[in-house]
Amino acid sequence: MDLEFSEEQQMIKDMARSILDEHSSVDDVRKMEDDPKGFSDPLWKQLAESGLLGLTIPAEHGGGGQSLLEAALVYEEMGRTLASVPHFVSGVVSAGVLVQAGSDAQKAAWLPKIAGGQTIVTPAWLEPDRGYGPVGVQLSAKADGDDFVLSGLKQHVYFGSAADQLLVLARTDAGIDLFLVDAKAPGISMKQILSQSGDAQYRVTFDGVRVGGASRVGAAGTGWETFSTVLEDGIVLLSAQAVGGAQKALDITADYAKIRTQFDKPLAAFQALAHYMADASTHIEGGRMIVHEAAWTRAQGRSIKRLAPMAKLFCCETYTDVTRMCEQVWGGVGFTLEYDVQLYFRRAKQLELSWWDTPYLEELVAADVLDS
Amino acid sequence: MDFDFTPEEQAFADEVENWLVENHDPVVMDPTRENFTQLADTPERRAFMKKLAAQGWLGMSWPKEYGGQEIEGVYEYILNEALAKHSAPQIGKGVGIIGKTLIRHGSEFLKKEFLPKILNAEIEFAVGYSEPQAGSDAANMQLKAEKVEGGWLMNGQKIWTTSAHFADWYWVGARSDPDAPKHSGISLFLVPMNDKGLEIVSLPTIGKDTTNQVFFTDVFVPDEYLVGHEGNGFQYISEALDLERFTMFTLSPSTERARLLIEWAKEATRDDQPLKDDPNVRRLISRIVTDQAVAKGLSTRFVCAARKGGKPPTIESSQYKLFATQLSQRVCKDALDMQGAAGQIHEGQDEGPIRGRFEGAYRATVVETIGGGSSEVQKNIIARRYLGFPKNF
Repeated sequence: MDLEFSEEQQMIKDMARSILDEHSSVDDVRKMEDDPKGFSDPLWKQLAESGLLGLTIPAEHGGGGQSLLEAALVYEEMGRTLASVPHFVSGVVSAGVLVQAGSDAQKAAWLPKIAGGQTIVTPAWLEPDRGYGPVGVQLSAKADGDDFVLSGLKQHVYFGSAADQLLVLARTDAGIDLFLVDAKAPGISMKQILSQSGDAQYRVTFDGVRVGGASRVGAAGTGWETFSTVLEDGIVLLSAQAVGGAQKALDITADYAKIRTQFDKPLAAFQALAHYMADASTHIEGGRMIVHEAAWTRAQGRSIKRLAPMAKLFCCETYTDVTRMCEQVWGGVGFTLEYDVQLYFRRAKQLELSWWDTPYLEELVAADVLDS
Repeated sequence: MDFDFTPEEQAFADEVENWLVENHDPVVMDPTRENFTQLADTPERRAFMKKLAAQGWLGMSWPKEYGGQEIEGVYEYILNEALAKHSAPQIGKGVGIIGKTLIRHGSEFLKKEFLPKILNAEIEFAVGYSEPQAGSDAANMQLKAEKVEGGWLMNGQKIWTTSAHFADWYWVGARSDPDAPKHSGISLFLVPMNDKGLEIVSLPTIGKDTTNQVFFTDVFVPDEYLVGHEGNGFQYISEALDLERFTMFTLSPSTERARLLIEWAKEATRDDQPLKDDPNVRRLISRIVTDQAVAKGLSTRFVCAARKGGKPPTIESSQYKLFATQLSQRVCKDALDMQGAAGQIHEGQDEGPIRGRFEGAYRATVVETIGGGSSEVQKNIIARRYLGFPKNF
């Protein structure tokens, strides 16, 4: 057992930290809130040029060929700096789907451009009033000759306005399939929906959108399996992001507790508050351990069927618990927009609700433990 | 980064596991005793410790000149977790705090008298730090050690001495200088447990076992049985906690309880329906296994920090202990909630789910967040050393 990073891992982490510190300051983050595009070009360009964007894309497709462990280190930094970028949707989920199930032509066409940041692909997955399970995918893709015609509604399509391609989960005769659809195709309309974290997400209407048969990713009926497998890796990175956010929120709160005085002593000298923060630090360290273990286990080529949902379950709950506690320590100023702790507070809850929520994760874990 | 043991460590873990399976003895390894399984408090369990000694598994990390093997402390961690998993007695305080303190600070006389007996499992110790007015505030101990011709005369009281009723020797802290500052007026002594001036009064607990009060009336301790220097007792006590990095609170008992609970939940029914289909049961189980994995992570973290040497892994072990002991209690609480009305059936009866195992464990695990530094003490340590906060008490 050894928890040290390799030199290369440390370098990747340091590089991520320095790029994000420069291009994802609190001011940058605030500027992006409710912005229709949702990310800044300088940050996006830096992530692409440094190789961090395509970090886990195989080297033969223009990526860095790194494992989930290196990516987790980067995501902790993204969480720490609240980076607003389509890295996860494009570089992780969409690229992951293409790597896993894409044809040679699709891989060649899209992966190098995703890694280079020239193309943004974002999943169009969730639908209004539907859940995270396969039954939630009801947007229909009707076969018409060699083509498919897509009709239905998608929601929580992140960075939809900036996307070049949508990776659409749709219901076909074969079950659930994935389609790459030009985001500007006729029949597609988008409406920005403001979110708790202020990110750029869209409701997307598909009104008879025609796509060629060659835009299906993977064999007929395999879409759900592909998408779930890719998300299993993906949520480990979101767990790392949660750890990074929780750690930063605790850090700024602990610093504040040392300087803010009441009753002639710093808040940090009040046991009631110190104990909240001691608990928080324990949960954050525990969360970091399960993230590292999940990412390392996956990097060893082993299954993370149970570890991955456990990691997101624990880390996202920790992030929300810690940031709620931080609000309490900051007191009145904590819920004014002027102070930064609320930035973490709002993002924590949104992250917990997104990309498999708590009940869905609990059931994934329970099924693996009780039904096997 | 590597979450696996090295091949050598894994081979040792496998060797211990196989040996424990081969040497399984239901009298020695009774899981319903919960935390008290770690004690060698019966003839059968003392005989078991002899077998461990014969395996060469006592004092593995000790220096060679004192009969040890000078191997990494992580092996003692592996051994203790395996012993705990099988509800066998653990290597405990003789090899740990007492042996290691004697090696560092004991006289040649004390080393000669005690170290071989520890390695051969011929001796059991009781540890006496706590007193009625010295709980979390251990340095407030008041047991009086008065200098007299040729030794010390001890008068006063100890409490929470779990092993007093079966141990051979008492490792006990006392106030040898009432005028010195709180932390520097304490000395450590070794006292035979059968001294006629010691009265041991049993203190039954809500768990299955008892702890003890020990009363001292004119107990004479010869000079040779003062450990190290007079007045350094509290320093030795604190230091021993640092030396004893690898064999603190074990996680295996709670892991085993969670495993047992899951086995039970898979088979149990309520109103003729599988209990495992109950959404609340599924939710609770998912939480338990998740938190067990986190506790395992925190345990790995302190073991890795301990192995690096240098600074003692105080923060890591406090965070681990805080989380793991609270979890251990929650597993029992959740188990009873899953069992509903039947959960109240007292341990040891066939009518109870798993013979009332969790009813008993619910009571037995209360001590975990209290003993060995309460949760609040751990949080104070974390607040000061991790968060850099001022002293708050």
